Amino acid sequence: MTKAYGRFLAAIFCVFLVGLLAWHIVQPDRERSETENRRLAQTPEFSWETLVSGKFTKAVEEYFADQFPLRDQWTGLKARTEQTLGQREFHGVYLCGETLISKVAPPEDDQAAKNLSYVSRFAAAADVPVYLGLIPSAAEIWKEKLPAGAESWNQEAFLQEAAEIDGITGTIDFHTPLAAHKEELIFYRTDHHWTSLGAFYGANAVLAELNSLPLLAREDYTPETVSEAFHGTLYSTSGVHWLEPDTMEFWVKPDGLTVTSWRSGKAEASELYVRSYLEKKDKYSAFLGGNQPLCVIENENGQGKLLVIRDSYSDALAPFLAERFREVHLLDLRHYRLSAAEYVRENGIDAVAVVYSVPNFITDKNLVLLTR
Amino acid sequence: MVFSSLTFLFGYLPLTLAAYFFSPLRWRNFTLLVVSLFFYGWGEPVYIGIMFLSILIDYTHGMLVERFRARRNVARWFVGQSVVFNLLLLGFFKYWDFFAANLSRLPGISIPELGLPLPLGISFFTFQTMSYTIDVYRNDAPVQRNIVDFGAFVTLFPQLIAGPIVKYKSVAADLKKRSSTAEGFASGACRFTVGLAKKVLLANAAGSLWEACLGAHSGGGLTVVSGWMGLFAFGFQIYFDFSGYSDMAIGLGEMLGFHFSENFDHPYLSASVGEFWRRWHMSLTSWFREYLYFPLGGSRCSTARTLRNLLIVWLCTGFWHGASWNFVLWGLYFGLWLILERFVFRDLLEKTPVWLKHVYTILVVFVGWGIFAMEDMGICGKYLAVCFGGGPLWRAADGYRLRSYAVVLALLVLGSTNLAADLWKRLPQRAAKVLTPALMLLGLTVCTAYLVDGSYNPFLYFRF
Repeated sequence: MTKAYGRFLAAIFCVFLVGLLAWHIVQPDRERSETENRRLAQTPEFSWETLVSGKFTKAVEEYFADQFPLRDQWTGLKARTEQTLGQREFHGVYLCGETLISKVAPPEDDQAAKNLSYVSRFAAAADVPVYLGLIPSAAEIWKEKLPAGAESWNQEAFLQEAAEIDGITGTIDFHTPLAAHKEELIFYRTDHHWTSLGAFYGANAVLAELNSLPLLAREDYTPETVSEAFHGTLYSTSGVHWLEPDTMEFWVKPDGLTVTSWRSGKAEASELYVRSYLEKKDKYSAFLGGNQPLCVIENENGQGKLLVIRDSYSDALAPFLAERFREVHLLDLRHYRLSAAEYVRENGIDAVAVVYSVPNFITDKNLVLLTR
Repeated sequence: MVFSSLTFLFGYLPLTLAAYFFSPLRWRNFTLLVVSLFFYGWGEPVYIGIMFLSILIDYTHGMLVERFRARRNVARWFVGQSVVFNLLLLGFFKYWDFFAANLSRLPGISIPELGLPLPLGISFFTFQTMSYTIDVYRNDAPVQRNIVDFGAFVTLFPQLIAGPIVKYKSVAADLKKRSSTAEGFASGACRFTVGLAKKVLLANAAGSLWEACLGAHSGGGLTVVSGWMGLFAFGFQIYFDFSGYSDMAIGLGEMLGFHFSENFDHPYLSASVGEFWRRWHMSLTSWFREYLYFPLGGSRCSTARTLRNLLIVWLCTGFWHGASWNFVLWGLYFGLWLILERFVFRDLLEKTPVWLKHVYTILVVFVGWGIFAMEDMGICGKYLAVCFGGGPLWRAADGYRLRSYAVVLALLVLGSTNLAADLWKRLPQRAAKVLTPALMLLGLTVCTAYLVDGSYNPFLYFRF
C-alpha cells in the first residue's frame, strides 16, 4: 500500500464517521417520529446521580439513536437488504407480495383463557344479553397469502373455543363473512386494521347475531375515497417502505348522527370523522378521532341501545352500527377504569357486545376490569 | 459501550481518534488511558473503581517482584498475591452467585446471592494483568515503571472487553514506541469494517435463526432438521460474533499503532478437535497453556498426571466461559474428546480419510455448542435428543426457515472458510484497489442501517 492510497482509505473511513456525527450535531432535534408514532428521546439532562446509576449514559445512547440523521431511510435500507437476502419476516411482520401481514404469536401466561373467563363472568352477572365477537386478523383470513410454512398462531381453533364459553348470549361470527370475502380488500395492506369494507361485513355479522334489526345493503353506500396515501402501522414496524400506500374510504354519511366523546372525563361534542387526521401519518384515527375512554353515537331514527366493549377495530365498525341503533356506546377498557356493569345499568343499555380483534384479545390485560 | 453501537461508531470513535492523533507523541499513552477509562465507565460508571484498583495493585506488584528479584521466595510471594487478587476479583464478581446458589443447597448452609452486574470484560482484563506479573517474575517481560503506560495497557479500549487476551510481553514494545502511519491506519480501518460486518450482518442473522429454532423447541415443534439448523446457527453466531469482535479489536489496535496477535484461524476448517482448539480463541488457549497447563507439568510427565492436567485445564476453560454447570460440562466434554484423540483414537484418526475427519470435528464441535448455548441442562438434553432422532424429521416451518435463511447460511458457511481471502489475493491489484474503498463504504453503510434498525444487537461474549 502506498502512502497516498493509505491516506485515501483512511480519509474515506474518517469522513463517513465524522460526516454523520457532524450531520447529527447540525440537524435540529425532532420532537416525535410520525413513522414510528412515538416521542423521540431528547437531549438528556446531566446530573451526578443519573451518571452514577448509569441512567445518564443509557439516555445518551437512546438520544443518539433516536435523533440519528435519516433514521427512516436507514430502517428502509435494512429491510431492503434483508429482503434481498431472502427474508420475508420483518420485526414480526410478513411481507406477502404487496401485502404486509402481522404475525400472531401464541398468547403468554394463559392470557387468552383468562380473558375468556372474564367475559364469561361479566355475562353471567349482567341483566342484559351479552355477545362476544372476536375478529380474526389478516394472518387468519389471508393465511394463504403468508409465505409457505410461515407460522402464525391458530386463530380459528381459538374462535371455536371462545364460542363454547358459558354465560354469554351468543357469539358474533366474524370469521364466516370475512372468509367468504377474502378476495376483497377487507384489511389494509400496510395496517393491521380492517378497511371500511371489512367493517361493513363485520357490522352485518353483528346485526345478524343480534337478530332484531335489518341488515345493511351494500348498494346503499357510495364510498368516499378520503386518502390514497395511507401508510399504516405495519409500514412502520416492518421498515418495508416500498409498497403502494393504502386507500382509505368513508362509507357512512355523518348526517343525522350526534357524536359525543368523553376524552377527559366530561362530555364534548365530537365528529364521526375527524378529517384533520387525514393530513397526518396516523390516518386510521380519522374514524371517531382515535382512542378515547368513552364515545356515544346517537341516531334519532335508530332502535335500541348497544354497548360495545371495544378495541380500535370498532372505530371503523361503529359508524355502520350507528345506522341501525339509536345509541351506540363505545367503551375502551384501556382507558375507562370504572365498572362496565354499572354503566349498563345507569344508561339503560339493551345489549352488550364485547368486540375485539383476536390478537388484541389474547394479549389485552385490561379485560379483568369487566369483573368489577 | 460496544463497538457495534451508534454511540461508539459516530460519537466515541471519531472523537477518540481526533484526541489521540492531536496529542503530542509523548502524551498519547495518557490520552489512551483517559479515553479508555471513559469507554470502560460508560456502561457502569461505578466500576471505574475496579479499573483503578486493578491498575494500582498490579503495577505495585510488578515493581515489588522486580525489586525482590534476587530473593526468589519474596518475589514468588508477591506474584502469588497478584494472582490471588486477580482471581478473587474475578471470583467475586463472576462466580459468587453461582457458588452461593449451589452451596446453599447443602443442609445448614445459606449464602445470599448478590446479583451484581458483571463488570465489563473482567474475564479478559484480570487474565491480562495476571500475565503481566507472572511474565515479570519469569523474566519474560520488562517491568513497567510508568504507571500511565501500565494503565494504558490494562485499559486499552480496543481489547478491553472481549479480547483478544493480550499478554503484556507482546505489546510492551508498542507501548513504549509505536509509529502511526496512514497505511497502518487504513489497513486497521479495513479490518475494523470487516469485523463490524461479521458481527452486525452475519452473527446477528445467525442469532435470530438460532432464536427461532430455540423458540420451536420450547413450543414443542423442534424437528431433526430444525434442531441441527439451530446448532449450526448458534455455532456460526458465536464464531462471527467473537471473531468479528477480535477483528474490530485488532483493526482498532492497528489504527492506533498496536500489533495484537490473531485470535482465530478459520477454526471450522479443522480436521480434529485438537486442531480446532489451536485455531479457536487462540489467545485464551495459549494463555491457559502457558500459565496453567505447563506449570502443572503439561504432558511431560506420567500419563496419569497428563490426564489430570488436561482435565484441570479444560474444567477451567469451561468455567471461564460462564458461571453455570453447562459451561463446566462443556469444558469437560472437550477435555474428554482431546484425551480420546490423544490416547485412544490416535492411530485410528491417522488412517481416517480427511473428509471424514472434518465431519467428525464439525459434529463434535457443534454438539458442544448445544451444551454451551443452553444453560438449562434439561432443555439441552431434550434438544440434543431431538437432533439425534428423538423427534419428527421435518415440518413445513423448517422449509420456511431454510428458504428465509438460505443466502445467510451460504454466506456463513463460505465466510468461515478461507475462500474469500484466497479470492481476494488472486484479484488483480488494480481491481483490489478500486474494490477496497467501495466495499468499505458499502459495509459501513449497510452496518449503519442495521444498527439504526437495531432491535437485535446483543453481544454474546459479554457474559464471559
